[in-house]
Amino acid sequence: MKRRDFLKFGATATTATLVSGSVGLLSFSQRASASTISIVLNAVAGDITMVDGSSVRVLTFSQNNAPSFPGPTILAQEGDSVQVTLNNSLNTGVVFALGGTNIRQYVGASSSVTTTFAVPRAGTYLYYDDQNNGVNRVLGLHGALVVMPSGYSNQSFAGAPTFMRQYKWLIGSVDTNWSNQIRTNGASYVSSLNPSSYQPRYFTLNGKSYPHTDDDSKTAPYGLYGQAALLRLLNGGGMINSPHFHGNHVEILSVNRQNYASNRKKKDIVPMFPLDTRDVLLPFIQPPDAYPPITTQAQEFPMHCHSEMSQTAGGGQYPNGLHVFMHLGVAPPSEPTL
Amino acid sequence: MACTHNINGVGGTCGLNIQVSPTVGGLVSNPDATFIRSPFLGGSATINGTAVKVWGFNDGYSGLQTGPFPSPAIRVRQGQIVHTKIYSPSMPHTIHHHGIEPQQIFDGVGHTSYDILGFYTYQWRPHQAGTYIYHCHTNTVLHAEMGMYGALIVDPPKGQGWAADNTTQYNVERVWAVDDIDSSWHCLDWDAAVCSGDAGLNNFNPDLFCITGKGQAELNTDANLASPAVAIKCSRGQTVMLRYIVASYVPQRITFDSRLGDVIVIAEDGRVLPQQNNLGTGAVIVGTSAERFDIILRPNTAGTKIPVTIEFLNYRCVSGTPSVIGSIKGYVNVS
Repeated sequence: MKRRDFLKFGATATTATLVSGSVGLLSFSQRASASTISIVLNAVAGDITMVDGSSVRVLTFSQNNAPSFPGPTILAQEGDSVQVTLNNSLNTGVVFALGGTNIRQYVGASSSVTTTFAVPRAGTYLYYDDQNNGVNRVLGLHGALVVMPSGYSNQSFAGAPTFMRQYKWLIGSVDTNWSNQIRTNGASYVSSLNPSSYQPRYFTLNGKSYPHTDDDSKTAPYGLYGQAALLRLLNGGGMINSPHFHGNHVEILSVNRQNYASNRKKKDIVPMFPLDTRDVLLPFIQPPDAYPPITTQAQEFPMHCHSEMSQTAGGGQYPNGLHVFMHLGVAPPSEPTL
Repeated sequence: MACTHNINGVGGTCGLNIQVSPTVGGLVSNPDATFIRSPFLGGSATINGTAVKVWGFNDGYSGLQTGPFPSPAIRVRQGQIVHTKIYSPSMPHTIHHHGIEPQQIFDGVGHTSYDILGFYTYQWRPHQAGTYIYHCHTNTVLHAEMGMYGALIVDPPKGQGWAADNTTQYNVERVWAVDDIDSSWHCLDWDAAVCSGDAGLNNFNPDLFCITGKGQAELNTDANLASPAVAIKCSRGQTVMLRYIVASYVPQRITFDSRLGDVIVIAEDGRVLPQQNNLGTGAVIVGTSAERFDIILRPNTAGTKIPVTIEFLNYRCVSGTPSVIGSIKGYVNVS
């Protein structure tokens, strides 16, 4: 879509706003002019409930005082600025760093800092606390920043294939032993945790494990045939993951914000090392190896991590981990937001 | 064998969708190719001199509880209508043709079709040549680790001897399914922690490594590289097709000796790359679990036991910098 086209019907909010609950067929509508996106991120400690009912302590960026695992998604368009107010209620310093950029802001224990930065070029970015060799990030201090290209509402960069819907898939993992140590000793214990002692026990997509992933309109992809979805994968966790797609190969559009205008690979595995981001297109085509061919019948296929340890919760209970179903040929019960 | 398994009953069915010989419509009566696979749970493999319990599939209708590791390959031609028949008389299993995208009911995922007790037929028609893998998708964490997998090769229209692009001809072909084994998992039961409980299936610490079922000791003692399953033997000027399957759960870093010449990737994950990816000499490929690489080599330097070195990386990687937890070398003899 060209800029002049979306101006005809696109939303034109120009006030400073957090765009996290946008609605409609696409989860983003271009604004006519650049804006300053203001967001408050409270660094808080708190407990969240895992899929098997167990409670784990996490450190997160949140818009209130309750933990948010992962942190809220910041949605911007090229030309925007983002103003982040970091309120750190923890007894240890935290950092807001933006992957792939030099943007980095430290805020001391029990302090507040407001920082403003111009958004980098269109793409998917992990914001995270980069301290202690990844310990802070893995404990939950991470989230996604999505920058849409100027002039486009249904492409992730100029020249990319168009999509009908877009989803953020932010991978996480939880080590209950680490969580217990933080609960017992406080957030400042982050500097005492040895990164190589990590043993993840829960595995999440957008903070949820299967089957809760499948109940979440932000996570479980739906669409009629031909309604391609853009999936923005990020790895904020502490494990090297290997997401595997049944039913459709995905097209690799961007690898850590390196865009492929042509020569795009089609993969059923999308390697995801910690800190990685990948934008992929799930084409929502009829499963191509079906016989007799599928025309309009609904089909349900899993996406799951093939590093299969991640298919567990609490040491077993397959497949209650990094696993979600993709609903092909089915209109979404509600439209996704990022 | 240090451990025994309960192979005569199902302890728990939580979350599983066990059906006895379910029937579905739409099967053709005259498929172009048919394969029969029967699960076994009492096999043994010798990896690096160590006997380890394995599970897998036998070719044909079989009640045997022993069999090969890995399981026998399935090989078809692009466009064929294929039936894969499972016969699982004692315990539920499935066959998922990884990378093949059939109708949901034939995808072999228990949760969206059935965990099969008895008979079932999976029908599929591969539209794109390349290297795939098949494996059991019941309590997959454990069943794939135990060895319930085999290579799945789809030849292009020109047939065997031609790469997935239907253009590149090869003289020598090998399938390397490169796997990691945590032997402490290999005494667990079929349904370990399916219902609840902690079987430690999040905690994977491989202590054995193999290429298509052969450990380093077995590869090293094969002085003449006579093993037809693994060692690559070719003459200068010949074209080698290496079908590389990352069968491990942890990532691999694969380094090709520079004497092997340019490393050319033609296809990944059963899809021809939009342009051949020539990685040059001494190339390094990093792969994560279940990726496949169709690699062309045209060595021009004679040598014996020219290595392809595979390092296995710890999946726990908080810092973002992976650490090496094991390695194995596969060999190429160029005459």
